[in-house]
Amino acid sequence: MDLQGQNGLMSTYREPWRTRNAVAYLVAFTLIGFYTLMYFRDPLHVEGTAFDPDGWAAAIGLRSRWLLYGMLYSIAMIGGAIYYLKRHGNSRYNRIRISVNVAVQVVLAFTLPLVMPLFFTSDPGEFWKYEYYFSYFWPLDWYKLHPGTLQNAPVVLAVYSIVGALVVAPMLAYFFGKRWYCSWVCGCGGLANTFGDPWRHLTSKSTKSWRFEKRAIHTVLAVAILSTFLLILDHLIGDQHQTFRKYVAGGEWYSMKSLYGYVVGAILAGVIGTGLYPLLGPRVWCRNFCPMAAVLGLFQKLGRFQIKVKADMCISCGNCSTYCEMGIDVRSYAQSNQSFTRSSCVGCGMCAHVCPRGVLKLENAPKLQSDKKRQRLPVVNL
Amino acid sequence: MRIVIIGNGVAGMEAALGVAARNPEWTITIVSEESDHFFSRTALMWVVCGQMSQRDIEPLERDIYDRMGFRRVRARAIGVDVNEHMVKIAGGHDPIPYDRLLIACGSRPRPGPWPGSDLDGVGSFVTMQDLEWLETEIHGGASRGGAVTRSDAHLALSTEDSPYQPRKSLRGERGGPPKHPVVVGGGLIGIEAVEVFAAAKLHPKFLIREEWFWPMAIDGQESAWITERMRGHGVDVRLEENLESIEGEGAVASLKTDVATHDCDLLVVAIGVMPNTDWLEGSDLARDRGGLLVDAQLRARTVDGEVIEDVFAAGDCASVEWFNCAVRPEQLWYTSRDQGRVAARGLCGDTARYARGHWYNSAKLMDIEYTTAGLVNMNVEDERNWFFEETGKVRSTTRIVLTGTGDDERVVGFNLLGRRWDHEVLLSFIEQHRSLQWVLDHLAEASFDTEFVPPLRVPREARSNIGGPAPSAMREPVQPPGV
Repeated sequence: MDLQGQNGLMSTYREPWRTRNAVAYLVAFTLIGFYTLMYFRDPLHVEGTAFDPDGWAAAIGLRSRWLLYGMLYSIAMIGGAIYYLKRHGNSRYNRIRISVNVAVQVVLAFTLPLVMPLFFTSDPGEFWKYEYYFSYFWPLDWYKLHPGTLQNAPVVLAVYSIVGALVVAPMLAYFFGKRWYCSWVCGCGGLANTFGDPWRHLTSKSTKSWRFEKRAIHTVLAVAILSTFLLILDHLIGDQHQTFRKYVAGGEWYSMKSLYGYVVGAILAGVIGTGLYPLLGPRVWCRNFCPMAAVLGLFQKLGRFQIKVKADMCISCGNCSTYCEMGIDVRSYAQSNQSFTRSSCVGCGMCAHVCPRGVLKLENAPKLQSDKKRQRLPVVNL
Repeated sequence: MRIVIIGNGVAGMEAALGVAARNPEWTITIVSEESDHFFSRTALMWVVCGQMSQRDIEPLERDIYDRMGFRRVRARAIGVDVNEHMVKIAGGHDPIPYDRLLIACGSRPRPGPWPGSDLDGVGSFVTMQDLEWLETEIHGGASRGGAVTRSDAHLALSTEDSPYQPRKSLRGERGGPPKHPVVVGGGLIGIEAVEVFAAAKLHPKFLIREEWFWPMAIDGQESAWITERMRGHGVDVRLEENLESIEGEGAVASLKTDVATHDCDLLVVAIGVMPNTDWLEGSDLARDRGGLLVDAQLRARTVDGEVIEDVFAAGDCASVEWFNCAVRPEQLWYTSRDQGRVAARGLCGDTARYARGHWYNSAKLMDIEYTTAGLVNMNVEDERNWFFEETGKVRSTTRIVLTGTGDDERVVGFNLLGRRWDHEVLLSFIEQHRSLQWVLDHLAEASFDTEFVPPLRVPREARSNIGGPAPSAMREPVQPPGV
């Protein structure tokens, strides 16, 4: 068995459902509808109707719609992983990466939140305290560092939240690139790389989309940090300043806390981020909006991860760019013999996998002088 | 300054971008018959099967011409007047005056020498028009990635003998894809065509004249693996079979070889490419077997051998000096790119030399990756070959070419299948005159395998697995490089 390189030709653009045809639109509308019901169950007043996701969950004996969501999510990932590994499983990197990612989802993001409360409390009202998702960190899970959340959580979990978000995650990104999270652990990335994989070529490679990505993702990051800061401030002074509290942490729809949840958590991550898979590619959220990806990207840029380019061997075929789910024009770097680190790269390894000349290689290595020398232009330097 | 570039390929485009970077105010005109946009010819096979879209194989965004201010003329050049500084254009278009000219018009497919080569249903797999033809024949049209844009926009300004004439599809008459597709010619274009047919489950026949596939680059035992892989994909590989004639009334119906007669309703002729320079017949430019003769600065010469200061040639159509001092075209993507960059400096008025350096190349044969560096199958003086076949989790073959004996023993070439290697490190071994045992100890440094792939381990008993010289097309022994 071959362990690297793409095995056989793909017929991507000859499969209509993968190229924005009616079926793709139908899938997109279904997903958007599902996410809308999930996130806007209360404002839509579907309670008690056939469209109530909590009702669906209760019907199969689950405590809440979020556990139902976790279950459907896991099923979608397992199905997608089978599809993915059938096509690209000859590569050992792909096999290991996808297996780890699916296992993390099934164990840490579904099974543990489902069963953990049963061990620690018998009061159903306390269950939420122990429905802890170990694979999500602030700022992706924006609520994890709120003083209120930390205060109510068991000490071990509070420490895990703080150290994980502020120390471990950035440190791992420095040494291994953000891929350790975005394409090995994270559920959003995992769904994109399994269920969403058939549409990975749809991510736009245009300069325009790159410009948008840089602005959008750093805006969301700034908002995430600033809003967390305001919530801490509210925790300190909110008791004395009721108007401040009302607009920052209040329960009304127009408070900052609610708006962040609706706009970033529900619309950008859920409805658009996943709903538009079949139309704009599977990484719409990860590429353009995820604040966690933005933080890890900065550490990746400073750190050791890079895509190494073998000098003067690229034939500019463009398979790498075509199949980059983050819209990176990998070919332009390969053509100019430039090993590179892009902060958006999630290290899925597909560019190296589909390269017919073995020009690209993902690696974590200290950036040496010799690598910089490789980046010279060959023959002439205009 | 008026710069005219004939050819919209990698050499022409690199040159145009290089000139524009230095002299944004100069007018740059690109004359191209084949396509509106610069594209990667190396990627045509992926467009046919649907792995890539038409747009995906264009390395630059389509607005590059407008942004850089390049003028495009979609027409066939039919001659150059080096005294009047004019490029003549077919179809009554005004000739285009130039101050400096770059000819980078690439290759054209070598036509079949057999009787019946002009029948319908016989074609090649080199041009954009070939792509369109094969897409129609195999799949009934372009994929959802989009069709070739304006593939016939040049026809009014073209000639009958142009390699970019559209080809008639027989799909309608046949009522579907070919039932008996055949590819003739055991080289890289041949195996790409075969892979495209195999991916469409059309079970092509592959006629190879030689004893094994691609003897120019790989030896019998290496080729056996590739042939096995092709057969595994349903390809009917026929070795040592010479095509004699193509039979049929109007359209191809069967092929007569020296062994048998085969049914055939579609024939891809893949016996190589040659410089696309027929149109320069009558222009005062020296050519050798089609390739434009150039000096080290890539300046063209007159028929009398005089260097022309303001006409350059680069890419597949130029005959440049090779490592062994032979003069012939280098039909490679990355050397064309490098030549385009040197030509850009020439067009800017600098003195820049093109130096090829060592030979290296890579390819993908079906799903087997191939890397070569240095002198392989070159009949090196006193040549020996060390060979190791790895089986197990990774399958690979490693062949190292040696010359000299005792303390003078040194490695001069590598031929590697199934794994990824960094040719630059391999070439540094060659330049350092390393012995075989030293190279085997340090081979891991050249590894370019993806992560988690177990490294190549050569067992002790295999380290002395040295055989004689490899078969070669070179009649005279080649001197090992004296670096």
